[in-house]
Amino acid sequence: MLKRGQFHYHCSHLLILFITLICLILVPISLEAAQKKKGKKKTPALNLPPLKTQEQKMQLLGYIRQTMPTHRIGRRISFSSDDLDKALELELGQNTQRFAKQIDDETFVRRVYLDLTGNLPTPETIKTFISSRSSNKRSNLIDELLETEAYARKWSRYWTSVIFYDSEANKNRISPKALEDWLAEQFSKGAPWDYITVMLISATPKRNKKVRNDYGQKYGPNNFVLACENKSTELASQTARIFMGISIKCAECHDHPFDNWKREQFHELAAFFHPYTYKMPDKDDPKVKTVVKPRFLLGEKPHEKMKSDARRVSIAAYLAYNPKNYWFARAYVNRIWSELIGDGFYDVDSLGPDSDVIHKPVVNRIAANFRYKDFDPKWLFRLIMNSKVYQRDMQTISSQSELFTSVRPSRLRPDVVAASVKKLIGEDKKLHKEIMQVFDMNPSLPQGALEGSIQQALMMMNHTTLQSKLSQSELKKQLMKLSDQELVDALYLNVLARHATTEEVERNLSYLKESQSRAEAVDDLIWVLVNSTEFRTKR
Amino acid sequence: MQTDALLHLNLNRRGNVSRRNFLQSAALGIAGSSILTQFQLNAAELKKEGRSCILVWLAGAPSQMETWDPKPGTPNGGETKKISTQTPGIEIAHYWPKIASVMNEIALIRSMTGKEAAHERGTYHLHTGHRMMGIERFPHFGSVVAQEIGDPQSDIPNFVSIGQTLSSGFLGVQVAPFIIDRPGQLPANVFNNTADSRQQRRLALLSQQEKDFAEAGAASLVKEQSKLYQKAYLMMKSPRLKAFKFEDEPQAMQEAYGKSQLGQGLLVARRLVEVGVPFVEVRSGGWDMHNSVFKNMERRAPDVDQGLSQLLIDLKQRGLLDKTLVICMGEFGRTPKINARPPVPGRDHWVRNFNLLMAGAGIKGGQAIGKTDANGQEIVDTPVEVDDLFRSMCKAMQIDADMELHTPIGRPVKLVESGEVIKGLFG
Repeated sequence: MLKRGQFHYHCSHLLILFITLICLILVPISLEAAQKKKGKKKTPALNLPPLKTQEQKMQLLGYIRQTMPTHRIGRRISFSSDDLDKALELELGQNTQRFAKQIDDETFVRRVYLDLTGNLPTPETIKTFISSRSSNKRSNLIDELLETEAYARKWSRYWTSVIFYDSEANKNRISPKALEDWLAEQFSKGAPWDYITVMLISATPKRNKKVRNDYGQKYGPNNFVLACENKSTELASQTARIFMGISIKCAECHDHPFDNWKREQFHELAAFFHPYTYKMPDKDDPKVKTVVKPRFLLGEKPHEKMKSDARRVSIAAYLAYNPKNYWFARAYVNRIWSELIGDGFYDVDSLGPDSDVIHKPVVNRIAANFRYKDFDPKWLFRLIMNSKVYQRDMQTISSQSELFTSVRPSRLRPDVVAASVKKLIGEDKKLHKEIMQVFDMNPSLPQGALEGSIQQALMMMNHTTLQSKLSQSELKKQLMKLSDQELVDALYLNVLARHATTEEVERNLSYLKESQSRAEAVDDLIWVLVNSTEFRTKR
Repeated sequence: MQTDALLHLNLNRRGNVSRRNFLQSAALGIAGSSILTQFQLNAAELKKEGRSCILVWLAGAPSQMETWDPKPGTPNGGETKKISTQTPGIEIAHYWPKIASVMNEIALIRSMTGKEAAHERGTYHLHTGHRMMGIERFPHFGSVVAQEIGDPQSDIPNFVSIGQTLSSGFLGVQVAPFIIDRPGQLPANVFNNTADSRQQRRLALLSQQEKDFAEAGAASLVKEQSKLYQKAYLMMKSPRLKAFKFEDEPQAMQEAYGKSQLGQGLLVARRLVEVGVPFVEVRSGGWDMHNSVFKNMERRAPDVDQGLSQLLIDLKQRGLLDKTLVICMGEFGRTPKINARPPVPGRDHWVRNFNLLMAGAGIKGGQAIGKTDANGQEIVDTPVEVDDLFRSMCKAMQIDADMELHTPIGRPVKLVESGEVIKGLFG
């Protein structure tokens, strides 16, 4: 982890070298201009320390990080959930009248569990939480869940899916599992997002020819580069997409200085990742190629003599530590916000001509503070989840102006649906795999663009194993022992993680009463809840 | 009507369910009885008119010079020989003897020219008619067909894909592809052991459960889910389900299509078209031949050769070819020049000229449109752009290519932005 004061250098000359490199990395434009004025001068030699191993790279990046001005600012500035609510109210203006009301404890506990652990809370958890008199119980629960393994696992799964979803890499040359495990470890120990990112971007996986299918994939952080098949163009577009939220597919963006995204800019970015001389193919004739020099999106140029390993380190630095690159922090903030609230300030990863940033002052403020807090993921979760925005009732909104006046009911991701089913019937690997396939969804698409399918409906309605296991489940056995009234309550608590409403109780009681076979009727009631939209939705 | 009341929620403009509707449908739900007979009636009314399309997708982009535009004896030609076809003057690669024998039904387009040389982007362009740009997700052509000529009340999906494919984009779940992985079997989970009366009781109770959730603020999700459940239930009861499997299909016919995954998929496609499904895609993989293109072609072509030629014969014999458009294509072409990739060279991505095959639905067979130069490097006659192709597909399907589709934010986009119907394609 990168924390201040952690790095001790034995040799002072090494420190001087670092400082030279930092100057080269962070003030390239002025240097460039100065050189031009004096006419052509030979590029000075670059005496970098070796940057071969991941440790060496991280040591350098750690030093750059320490020098970030945001470190000092961060000590003085605070931004609380209340500040967030106020900032958003200011932005929403008149629409604050449409604010949905704050959720009750029961809805809160389900929502927080799903968001932080990907699991439903147990009936006991729900009951304990509701009956607790503590005034801080909501924020305490958030804190508590952020320290669980389930939290680290849920979010490592999410990011692994983000990185691999569209990857066309050969399955033998990647290991999503290794990436997931490594990410889980990072999230678990609270590693900052910049650290995780620079580890991923600056990795240079090496092939071990002695071992069959060993492309370095067993080492988790190598897998971002491997997912991009180590192709410069793919690395460029995925880096921009995942870590800056910018779709290079767009011809132009509204945001300065990215407007008029030029084809050259993309290839300059790609050149960064290329081990040798990068050549851009001609638009009309792919045979014609022109040499393109590496240049980052804000104009930063690496030292000409920089070797490719060092270049990857420098692009990681430009990405995470150039104070002008606020896209980096904002992309992360927007993703997490999007996951928690159901809508983003812009569609994740697609900052393009059709997706303006809505309530930009708010997202920019969160992003700036995320940076002040040294990119601490847990800080962001606390900020959002303790706010009123997060704790509002769900509502289907019809216009963009109503955005963030309520929380969007969101489809649960396939692993969460699978976990909810597992909770009812126990472990079943085959069924788990089927659910993952049938409920598959692109983690980078906004909730509004996601769709259900007939296959999903058919599966939940008819799947033989699922039906028979539900019918023989522990839950069913338990329910059968209870009185009708208790049965209905236990049923809703176990399947939907909430108490049944009065109407639901009445309806289910009369169903039980009218049925000839109580066992069959209980199967029916379980079936109904498992097939309900609510079962696969975060409310 | 009863099905609507049973499974559809009557949402008012603000997305809420009115109290009256709620009570009405709750009452109806429990009482609903003769629903099954209604479904059967609907199902019996198969679409007699209207057109269908079968898209045979060769994923990975097949080489034009190893398919319909061979150049033997030239520096780029490689090992591929050419054979004459049933139509004098048209010669194709030697991997395709059976296609050669039905050339009178086929129009070859030898002068396609595209813009996307990456698989994902090419697949998108050739499936939607639009290039991948921004966040707009254009619908698969199959979804457009399903929307325009499919029966919205149909008891089986209007768009079936055997193998994964693109989605319906902004047209939504109503016209999304129904994907099956293994041809010749019923779709997964389409059956259960629950008596229908009990099934209906469950659905009625479910619809009330759903109303509560819709009222609690999840109206749009509930609306979509109810639509899907209605369709799923209709499908479970559909007599047309048997089109998915072919126990009633003569053994000889099954063999005529070939026992391959693709051959069986094409047989399912024909059966689906026969019962009125307007769009079926059948996918064949493995056409990305960077390495050993000739050997790979020898391995891959026979299944498609057999299945596709049999499909045309079969459709013709059943009088379905006049109304069924058959297209066989991939996302782009491959470099005319053989690459130097060790150990066995192949061909790389190439988008400047490629080819495809069309038949049926009024298309004049026995012709090759467009021409490339001797070395297969340049188009020398009638270049055909993707827009031209889509315009022609629309004409074959009797869909207005200038029609406007509406994105979720209400922005109108033209189904096909420019181009012209390919000259001479139709008789």
